Amino acid sequence: MVARIAQLSLFAVATIIGILLVGQLRSQARPIELSSLSARELSTLIETLSARNVELSDGLASLREQIREYERAELQGQSARELTEEDLDRLAAFAGLRGVEGQGLVIEIDGSFDPTAVNDLIYELRNAGAEAIAVDDVRITARSVAVLGTGAIEIDGVPIGSPFTISAIGSPSGLRAAIERPGGILTLLGQSIDAVFTVTERTTLVVAGTQRDLTPQVARSVE
Amino acid sequence: MTRRRPASSRFVRPQWAISIAGALAAIGFVGAAQWNSSLARQEFITSAQRVLITEAEQLTRQQEAFRSEIELAEERVRGFQLRDEGSRSEMEALSAELASARLAAGLGAVRGPGAIIEIADSQRPVPVGESATNYIVLVDDMRDVVTALWASGAEAITIAGGGADGVPAERLVSTTSIYGVGSSILVNTAFLSPPFRFEAIGPDGLHERFLAHPTYLARLQPRIDAYGLQFASEPRDDLMLPAFIGNTALRWGAPISERN
Repeated sequence: MVARIAQLSLFAVATIIGILLVGQLRSQARPIELSSLSARELSTLIETLSARNVELSDGLASLREQIREYERAELQGQSARELTEEDLDRLAAFAGLRGVEGQGLVIEIDGSFDPTAVNDLIYELRNAGAEAIAVDDVRITARSVAVLGTGAIEIDGVPIGSPFTISAIGSPSGLRAAIERPGGILTLLGQSIDAVFTVTERTTLVVAGTQRDLTPQVARSVE
Repeated sequence: MTRRRPASSRFVRPQWAISIAGALAAIGFVGAAQWNSSLARQEFITSAQRVLITEAEQLTRQQEAFRSEIELAEERVRGFQLRDEGSRSEMEALSAELASARLAAGLGAVRGPGAIIEIADSQRPVPVGESATNYIVLVDDMRDVVTALWASGAEAITIAGGGADGVPAERLVSTTSIYGVGSSILVNTAFLSPPFRFEAIGPDGLHERFLAHPTYLARLQPRIDAYGLQFASEPRDDLMLPAFIGNTALRWGAPISERN
């Protein structure tokens, strides 16, 4: 009986030790993300989240307006063909199938560049809220990435010459502030790449649709 | 007559007591270390960061709420479009164009063969004098995986993190950003934590092409080998990827309609 109690006690003690050790080891791993960020990083994050929430809020308002128009058309017994065509334009523009005209930023780049730097610039512009991006005449879709082709950077199989231009539809001042901020992408690229960047805000800018066939070969809709 | 305890019992009880005492000492030590580390972390975040963290958490919850509402609104719009009473042949053609655009945009769930890639922080102890950031998955690593997958012919990609249950995977679309803030990684401005799981649908051989792609071989594989980043990949016959949920409206531009 005494031996049994001893065994059970040792088992319980070992279990408690195990639990505490696991907890301690986990606390040595990557810390909880937010609490590991500095005040400056948190401020940057808050700025990004705030801007994105404004976009989402506007997008939701736009969809609700669309729903109201569909409801009106339905009540009046009218076809909502025009509304649907507008929705098609919206989705096609988002996918990169249609061109987009609006305000934005143009970055001219002259010098040595590598595909990673081009991709990093594209990600930075997207994070700053760019709605449509082109590198020279190549529209950047979800599937577009810069890679090293035979002797030149290529995007969607199209060689990108030097100098080249990145055009982005979005808030001109917002995009500019994001890429030119101290310690931002242009600062980092300037330290590692021998290139000259010329940034221009535009009130009128056209980004053409993609020439690439985005019809998937194997992916099938499940809806 | 005095009863004498058996000789053996004199030695068993002290040994057992010593074992228990040692185990309790270990519990006390580990418990104290756990408590101290918790206090240290608590003290760290009860400074100016606390206010900022609360605001960031609030914005994240707000973002999730917006995305849920957008998903419902998009469904309602599609419902109207499907039951429109316009000319049958015109609406059928329009519906087909809409379905094509939604597929190209990443706004519908898709299914097909492809590959799964998983990457997580290294489990190796960080040697003295080395930077700990070498041993965690960085935003550059994430971008390299995505670049190699798209360049290998992927037609749809999602990224999921190893965080809380029920956090949906992020579908990559034309406006997707993969962004780092400190050691944190955001995809479509949603926080993801390791292990990171990439699911990609694409033509036969996608997995092999990914592993042979220069972006993987020249940048990611050396980091996996040098720092022990955890990495696993395999082809899959059937994957289902969710639709992108987020803003698709243009605020700074307008589509150039083909009807004009």
